[in-house]
Amino acid sequence: MNKRPRMTLGRAMALLACGLPVLAAGQTPSRIAAAGDYTPPRTAYGHPDLQGFWTNATYTPLERPDDVAEAFYTPEELAARLARAAANESAQTEPGTVPDVHYDFTQFGLDRSQSTFVQDLRTSLIVAPEDGKIPPMTAEGEQRNAARAEAQRRLGERWDSAQANQLDDRCLIMRGSGPPMMDAGYNANYQIVQTPQHVMILVEMIHDVRLIPLDGRAQPHANVRQWMGTSRGRWDGDTLVVETTNFNGKNPFRGSSEHMRVIERFTRVADDEIMYSFTIDDPATWTRPWTAELPMKATFGPLFEHACHEGNYGLYNTLVGARLEEARAAAEAEQGEQN
Amino acid sequence: MRMGVAIVACSAGWLLLGQPTSAHHAFAAEFDINKPITLAGTLTAWEMINPHSWFHVEVEGPDGEPVTWMIEGGSPNQLIRMGVTKNSVPIGSELVIEGYLARDGTNKAVGRDITFPDGTRLFIGGSAPGAGGDRR
Amino acid sequence: MRSWPQSLMILLVVLACGVAVGSHEARGQAAPYRAPRTSDGHPDLNGIWQAIGSAHWNIEPHAAAPGLVTELGASIAVPPGAGVVDGGAIPYRPEALAARQANYADRLNLDPEIKCYLPGVPRATYMPFPFQIVQSPQHIMLVHEYAGAVRTIYMDNHMEAPADSWMGWSNGHFEGETLVVDSTGFNDKTWFDRAGNFHSAALHVVERFTPRSADTLMYEVTIEDPNVFTRPWTMSMPLYRRVEPNAEILEFRCVEFVEDLIYGDLAKQPD
Repeated sequence: MNKRPRMTLGRAMALLACGLPVLAAGQTPSRIAAAGDYTPPRTAYGHPDLQGFWTNATYTPLERPDDVAEAFYTPEELAARLARAAANESAQTEPGTVPDVHYDFTQFGLDRSQSTFVQDLRTSLIVAPEDGKIPPMTAEGEQRNAARAEAQRRLGERWDSAQANQLDDRCLIMRGSGPPMMDAGYNANYQIVQTPQHVMILVEMIHDVRLIPLDGRAQPHANVRQWMGTSRGRWDGDTLVVETTNFNGKNPFRGSSEHMRVIERFTRVADDEIMYSFTIDDPATWTRPWTAELPMKATFGPLFEHACHEGNYGLYNTLVGARLEEARAAAEAEQGEQN
Repeated sequence: MRMGVAIVACSAGWLLLGQPTSAHHAFAAEFDINKPITLAGTLTAWEMINPHSWFHVEVEGPDGEPVTWMIEGGSPNQLIRMGVTKNSVPIGSELVIEGYLARDGTNKAVGRDITFPDGTRLFIGGSAPGAGGDRR
Repeated sequence: MRSWPQSLMILLVVLACGVAVGSHEARGQAAPYRAPRTSDGHPDLNGIWQAIGSAHWNIEPHAAAPGLVTELGASIAVPPGAGVVDGGAIPYRPEALAARQANYADRLNLDPEIKCYLPGVPRATYMPFPFQIVQSPQHIMLVHEYAGAVRTIYMDNHMEAPADSWMGWSNGHFEGETLVVDSTGFNDKTWFDRAGNFHSAALHVVERFTPRSADTLMYEVTIEDPNVFTRPWTMSMPLYRRVEPNAEILEFRCVEFVEDLIYGDLAKQPD
C-alpha cells in the first residue's frame, strides 16, 4: 500500500492564505478588552444573549511551546510554524502504523480543519501566569498525581478491563465537559439555552448538560460531589460569571484535586464570538491560580444525540479480542509443551 | 470594530494536529495492525451511532455465500450537520473498504478508507450526498 | 321556636351560601388554570418536575410482586399500581404480546435501564428521578437526572429526524395552554417500563404538557406503532413540581456503576 497523503505542502500553503489574522501597521495585539465597542443582543428579559451553537475547536495549545517566548505570534511567524509542520508531513499515516489503524477523520468531517475553529495569534491559551505555562505543582499535588498514576498503571493495559481504559473510551466524560470546557478534538460543539433563572450548556459529547442557576443560591453540602462539580452563575455587567466546586476528583484537570474551584467568564464580544475564560484555583495542587482564554465561535446545529455508552461496541470488542488472543496463545503454548 | 487582533473563523484545510492519540491506540487494541484487509460488498445498514458509526456490508464469502461484515467508522454527528441523513447512503450501495481486521476473530474491521467502486470517497471528497465540507 | 323573620333569615342565608358555592363550582369548571407566561407569551413550564407512582415498574395495572434479587428483599419488590394506560391494557398485536411476555420473563438480562442505557420516551418522564424543563422561544430542553438523558424540543425549524436515536427527535408547538411535542426517529432499543413493554423503530409519540396548577402539570401521551400495537393508545399522569428551595438536578452518571455488570466477565483474570 502506498503512503496515504492527507496534507501536501502546496495545499497547506494555499490554504494558509485563507483568513489569517491581520494587524494594521503599528497595532499591537491585545487581549480582548473588557469593554469593547460591541453591544451584545439581549434576551426579552434583559440578560445578555449567549444563546446558540458554539465551538471551541482550536489549534492553540494550552501551554506556550518551549521554543516560544512571546504571547503572540506575528502573522508571519504563525504562517511559518504551520508551514514547517506541514513539511513535517506529520499528518500522513503510514500503512501498518498505529495511526493508520483508524477510520479517516476527514471522511466524516471530523478533522479539526473541516469545521469552524478558533484561529488567532496567541501562542498559548494560558494568559496568566505570563509565561503561558501551568504554575508549579505543590508537593501534595505531585504526590497525589504520582499515586494516581501508579494506581492506574496497576490496573493494567486498556485491553485488560473496562476500568483500565481512559474515561472517554469508557464513555464516562470527555474533554469538552470539564469544567473548564476544553476542545474535545472533534464534535467540539455546545448549545446554550437561557431562561431568566438558568443558563443551560449542552456539551455535544457525551450529551453532558450543565445547569447553572442564577438565583444566588449557595453551593451544596460538601458530600454532594460530581464529575462536573456544581455550578453557580451570576451576571457581572455583560459577563456571565460561573463558579464551580464540589468536584468528585475522578476526572482531574491537568492533575487537579477534588477541591479545585473553577471560575469561568462568558462575554459575547461579537455576533459570532463568546470570549470564554477560566481561572483554576486549587491551592492543594498549584502554587498559584492560573487563567486561560479560549474563544468560542458561532457554529450551527443540530447537536445530534451522542449516546456513547449505548454504542460502545469498541470497548467490548477490544476485551473480547484480547481474551481470545490470550486463550489462543495459551493453547499454542500448551501444544508446544506437548510436542 | 474591535481594536487589536482580528480573530477569524476559517475552515481552511489545515493540518491534522492534535487528534487524541489515545484514540488511535485504543483502535490498535481493537483491530490487528498486522492484518490489513480489503473488502467489497453491498451496504445493508449504516448504524449512525456514537461513539463510532458502523457499516453493515454484505460480502461474498469464501464459499460464495453472503457474509455480513461490520465496519467501524466515525461519529456521524458532523455529517448530520452537513445534511447527511439515514437515507443518504442507499441500502444496496456498493462499497470498497480498506482497513484492519478485528482481533476478536469475527467479521469486523475498522474502515480506514471507504470508497465507491470507482474510487470516489464516501462522504467528504466523494460523490455521495452531503459531501463537500462545512454547511454554513 | 323561631319567629318567621328568623326562619326567613336562616333560609336566605342558606340559599345565599348555596348560590355562592354553586357559583364557585361553576367558576372552577369554567376557568381552567392559566399558568404565568414566559417573555414570549407562552405558558411557563420552567422548573424541576417529577412523576409519582409505579409507572416506571409497569405502566399497566399490576399487583405487588416479589423482586428479582432475593437478597434485596422488600426494597426491590414491585409496588402495586392502578396503571397509567387509558383503558388498562396496551393493545398489543398477538405476536407482540408474546414478545412482551418474553421480555418480562428475561427482564433481568434485557431491561435497558439495568445497563444504564438512555431510557427513551416516555419512560424518561416517569423514571423515579427529577427532570428540568429549560424553556426558551426556539428550544425547550428536557434535562433528566437519570443517566444525564437530555431531549431537545425544536419549537421552530421543524425537521424530520436525520437518524434514529435513543431519545428520539422532537418537534414542539403550543396549543393554548398545552405544549404539544411530536416525536419520531426512535431506535427500537428502549422499553416503556421495567415490565418489558416495548416498541419498534416506527414509534411515534405525541406528548401534551398542560399546567393544571402552579405546581402540577398534566402529562398525556399518545403512542402509535403499527408494528407492535393494533391501534394508537394513550397514557396520562400528573407531574409534580419539586418545590423545595434550591431544588437541583444532580448527576446520576450510572455508566460507572454498570461496568462490572457489562464488562466484568471480559476482564483479564489475575494470574
